Order: sequence, then structure tokens, then C-alpha cells
Amino acid sequence: MIPSSPFLCVITDEALCPVTLAEQALKGGASMIQLRHKTASGNQLYSWAVEIRKRCRQYHALFIINDRLDIALASDADGVHLGQDDLPAAAARKLLGNSRIIGVSASSAEEALQAEKDGADYIGFGHIYPTISKQKDHEPLGPDNLQKTVSVISLPVIAIGGINAENAPLLITRGASAVAVISAVSRAKEPARAAYELLCSLQKIRQ
Amino acid sequence: MKHKKILITPLPRIYLISSGKENSNPGRLVRQLNILSATMPCIVQIREKNLEAKQLLTLALQARKIQLPTGSLLLCNERADVALAAGLDGVHLPENACPADKLRAFASNFIFGRSIHSHEALHIAEQSGADYLLFGPVFDTPSKRKYGAPQGLKKLGEFCRTTSLPVYALGGVTPRNAALCMAEGAYGTAGLSIFQETARLSETIEQFYRILYP
Repeated sequence: MIPSSPFLCVITDEALCPVTLAEQALKGGASMIQLRHKTASGNQLYSWAVEIRKRCRQYHALFIINDRLDIALASDADGVHLGQDDLPAAAARKLLGNSRIIGVSASSAEEALQAEKDGADYIGFGHIYPTISKQKDHEPLGPDNLQKTVSVISLPVIAIGGINAENAPLLITRGASAVAVISAVSRAKEPARAAYELLCSLQKIRQ
Repeated sequence: MKHKKILITPLPRIYLISSGKENSNPGRLVRQLNILSATMPCIVQIREKNLEAKQLLTLALQARKIQLPTGSLLLCNERADVALAAGLDGVHLPENACPADKLRAFASNFIFGRSIHSHEALHIAEQSGADYLLFGPVFDTPSKRKYGAPQGLKKLGEFCRTTSLPVYALGGVTPRNAALCMAEGAYGTAGLSIFQETARLSETIEQFYRILYP
């Protein structure tokens, strides 16, 4: 289910319509789309989710919803991504069963280990570099902390936070299975191209 | 109407909504529920929009532990996932929430209520299979003043006559004006502020009970 070769996850933000952004990201080669919108109504989220899911299926990409497990089930998404303040992974697993994906945000090896114990399928680890997309309560973790976390857990780790085509390859070298980006794609002039360039950098394809 | 929940006991006519202040002033809901455990069956909606899902789940689990009179229903606002994880009885959906039938697909035993402020919303609620409706604000209430004038009794009556679903009147409803709502066809009454004073809660419930269960 989760790709084995280095892949790109694109997370939606408030800068662009999530459906448009997802479409662009998929065109650029993203293998995972995460719908994240903290202020939209449930009905709006559900409508976006149905549209994004459809497009993800066309591109054989995974569709994950941030926090809202209810919307994930209603829209038949592939899974949820849970922050440390969201539903605990163990509770989410009971509701989702084993066929859906649970990702958990972690900013330390301890949180990652706990998530693994609670039944997560992947870890979102960050923020690695300084980022403008989210308010942060700790310093950037850097590639060393990423590597340390990768070494203590067996789950795939998706690196997040301030990642671009220049710094992404190093994170894959340090053991990340994927990188997740928000603004690097959503605020790019050409989101599809930005996604493609990121993917190329991960897979070291000559452009 | 799709897949309406088949109720074994009728819906309670008294409906209490939590303070919305469990984040800054925790503990009131549990105090309220402890008092309600010795009164009549009520619907209780945990509506704490300032809590993240994890804290909301903790609160819902705490609330669930308190034994309420038979026929009572413990719901939470919007989050069907949290309600399922906590073993609650259902969910109350704001007007702009995900349609009830999409949620019922994975929460088949749940009661689903819906807030309505317009005929269009009523139509959507009926189409998606709501079990009850919350209509308001009927009277003037400080918490809703920013949204404009109250809808009034006449409009309440209009909505009650248009639908076969049970309608709860919300917004400034007291034991003094509850009978007016019932006369317009309301099934019951809902409130937030009126139930805040825990010292008088038991008495307030009894006053409502006498009017709503004649």
C-alpha cells in the first residue's frame, strides 16, 4: 500500500483549492495526497474529499485525511493522518480496521516508537527544517534526528517541514521513505512542475 | 427519508448542550451529568469546539462513565469518530456538517440530529435521514445575538408543521416560555445557558419536565 521507493506526499493548505492542488500534485507525480484544512466545515471537507479521492484513484495514489477520521470513513479515503492532539492511533485503529492507513506525526524518537506500538502504518517526522506553513513549538529537528528515529523504528518515515528539491535527496539518504510538502507545491507558480521537480530530486532522475 | 434510526424508547424532550468552555473551565459537564443522573432522561450534547479530538475523546469517555437515567442519550457535536471511540449514542450535526447518511454508513446505531436555520437546511436534513432537528434561536439569547434577530415562535411553528421529524426549540427557552414552543408543535426544548447553574439544575429540569411531559 505505501510505496517502497522514495515518494512524494503533498499536503493541501489554505492557499489553493484543495481539489485543484491535489490535481496538480498528482500530475507532478505525488503518490500520496493529504487533505488538511483546519477551518473548513465538515460538509466542505466531505465534498473536497470525494473529489480528491476520485482523482487519487485515477493516479493510483493514496488519499489521506488529516485529523478527521469521520470524514475519512464517510468519503472512503485510504486513511488518516493524526497529530499528537488528534485521536490516539490505538482508538483510530479500532474504528478503521486493518485495511486503512494510519499515519502519526512525531517530533521525537519516543513519539515515533509510541505510534508504532499504537498501530500506526507510517510516521510523519518533523519539522526537519524551518517552515512557514505551520506554527511550531520546537526547533527544527534536522537530518540527524530523522536518521536517529529511522534507526529505532521499523515503520516508513515521511520527513516533513521546510523540504524542497535541494534538501530532499539528503533526507532520503538518511533513511526517509518519502518527503511531505505543503508550501513547496501549493505556493509554487506551477504546482505540478514543483511536485515533479521534487519527485525527480528524490528518485535522482536526470531532468 | 433514508435509514432512520428505529428507537426503542422515545427521544427525551429535554435537551442540554454543554457550556463550550471545558477547555478554559473544565469540570462543569461532569458536574451537570452527575446531577442529571438523578433526574429525568435528557439528551446531552457535548459541544466543545475548542477541544482537540484527543481532549474531546477524554471528556467523552469521562462523561460516558456517568450512569444517566434510562432513555437518556449522550451525543457529541459533529465528530462521529470521537462519538464512536467513546461509545456515545450519536452525533449532533451543525448545519454545515457532513451529511448524516454518509456518517450513518459506518455508525448505523447512532442517533443523528441536525441544526436547521432555513427551509433549505430542513430539506437537506430530511434527505440525509436525520433523527431530530434543532431549531433556533427562537427567543433572544446573549450567545446568539451576533447572528441577528431571533427566529421567533411563528417560524418555529412553520418549521414544525413542515416536517414530521421531532423539532427541539433552542435559544432563550425557559420553563416560562417552553409551553409556547410546545403549542407551536415543538417536540422538546434545548438549552445551554439555562442549565449552567449546577446548583439549580435539578430544579430547572423538573420545571421543564412538568411542562414538556404534561
